[in-house]
Amino acid sequence: MKKTINIPLGSQHISLLEPVRFKFECENEKIVGVDSDVGFVHRGVEKACTTRFKYDAVGYVVARVCGLCAITHSLSYTVAIEKLLNVEVTRKAKYLRILLLELDRVHSHMLCLSHTCESAGFEAMFMRIMGDRELIMEIQELVTGNRIQFDFISVGGVNRDVNHEVAKKILNNLDALKEKVLGYMDEFTNNWSLSLKFKGVGKLTLDDAYRFNAIGPLARASGLKIDVRNEIEYLPYGEIGYKMQTHSDGDINARNIVRLQEALNSIEMCANILAGVPEGEIVVKSKGKPNGESLVRFEAPRGELMYYVKGNATAMLDRVRIKTPTFSCIPAFSHVFLGSNYADAAAILASFDPCLSCTAK
Amino acid sequence: MKKIKVTLDIVSEEIRIFYDYKKWHFLTINGVALEGDRLEVQWIFSRYETMDEIVMFYAECAYKDVIPSIVDTIPSAIISQRELVDMFGVEVEGSEKGLYLDADSTQSPLSGCSI
Repeated sequence: MKKTINIPLGSQHISLLEPVRFKFECENEKIVGVDSDVGFVHRGVEKACTTRFKYDAVGYVVARVCGLCAITHSLSYTVAIEKLLNVEVTRKAKYLRILLLELDRVHSHMLCLSHTCESAGFEAMFMRIMGDRELIMEIQELVTGNRIQFDFISVGGVNRDVNHEVAKKILNNLDALKEKVLGYMDEFTNNWSLSLKFKGVGKLTLDDAYRFNAIGPLARASGLKIDVRNEIEYLPYGEIGYKMQTHSDGDINARNIVRLQEALNSIEMCANILAGVPEGEIVVKSKGKPNGESLVRFEAPRGELMYYVKGNATAMLDRVRIKTPTFSCIPAFSHVFLGSNYADAAAILASFDPCLSCTAK
Repeated sequence: MKKIKVTLDIVSEEIRIFYDYKKWHFLTINGVALEGDRLEVQWIFSRYETMDEIVMFYAECAYKDVIPSIVDTIPSAIISQRELVDMFGVEVEGSEKGLYLDADSTQSPLSGCSI
């Protein structure tokens, strides 16, 4: 039997944004065993949603599960409640909901891409992407009143309209950002630090993506065609130019390219939304208390987010279940590490774009 | 959403027969506390590239029952099984406590069990 040593990565590590611990069993440089611990920031959000808050306040609680994909959390919960209350929101509200979902995706992907650059030692590119990301953060603040964790979604619609001046500013920023993202595409494709360094590293095959139920950009970079935007009728993605982005290589480089392509597609969708926002109210009134069970899914920046809600015709809910993208991908993460070099572990982890705040909720 | 009622003694076999890993995406395992110290366990799947097709297997059980594992069929289910153990204080075959809570914690935050 060969001699192995155990090397931990986390729970506090210079390459980690949030606490997670992987214990790697290494044979020389090669990782031959992985154990993960993801529960450092468990906050009991599901419990709080059924014991501390009435159903109409829970939408604002679940937005705090994650700073990066707050909008997807509040939308998923809200739609689950709307199904129980038989509320049909206006087409205008649906368009505005997609606008925020896609803006959120762009800034989240940019954050991941910047950290991938940082893990390659390309600090200048990290700074450049984080600086350009402000174009999106400005828009989010303009539309919702806050840069992150905005309370834009409410039962029956959205809380704010987008007027002509705001729409014009959004389009200007999106135009500027599109040029930037096309520039990143060139860097990520042709720069040695970002393309050749990451080609063939941290590979997930298509078959393993199926076997480990991978989702989000991690799955799509391996060629697995899974995207909730393609599997729900609730939001009219077909009308605004949504195109699923996939790659076949399954490595870090492929994940970077998929995120860049998705950012470009999201920018295009936002522009299309603003060109054709339907007339109508932004919110409709709802009556009654949620009764029965509903299950909804939306595509968060990291993949499929699922909410299961069970009500009992009172203001307090029986159950709120949150299944987050990173939580689903932990087994796939562990599998990808096997056989990789320990020196690549930090870059591989950054390419997963893990969100432990969501995972431990 | 299509709901299929099963019992604990047949659920692993039912899911093994149902699950084609290139056709069905395993979403998660969920628990819902019921009245009378009982629990509903749900195994949830969605179909790839199909609009809104969700299938849920569900079984009612007591908190003292041992819930069978589906890891032989779906390796990635281990994380959902461990979450169920932590949150509801139930025993799931082959799944350790300690994902979110300490391994020796006596708490089970979502359990509705009064005993």
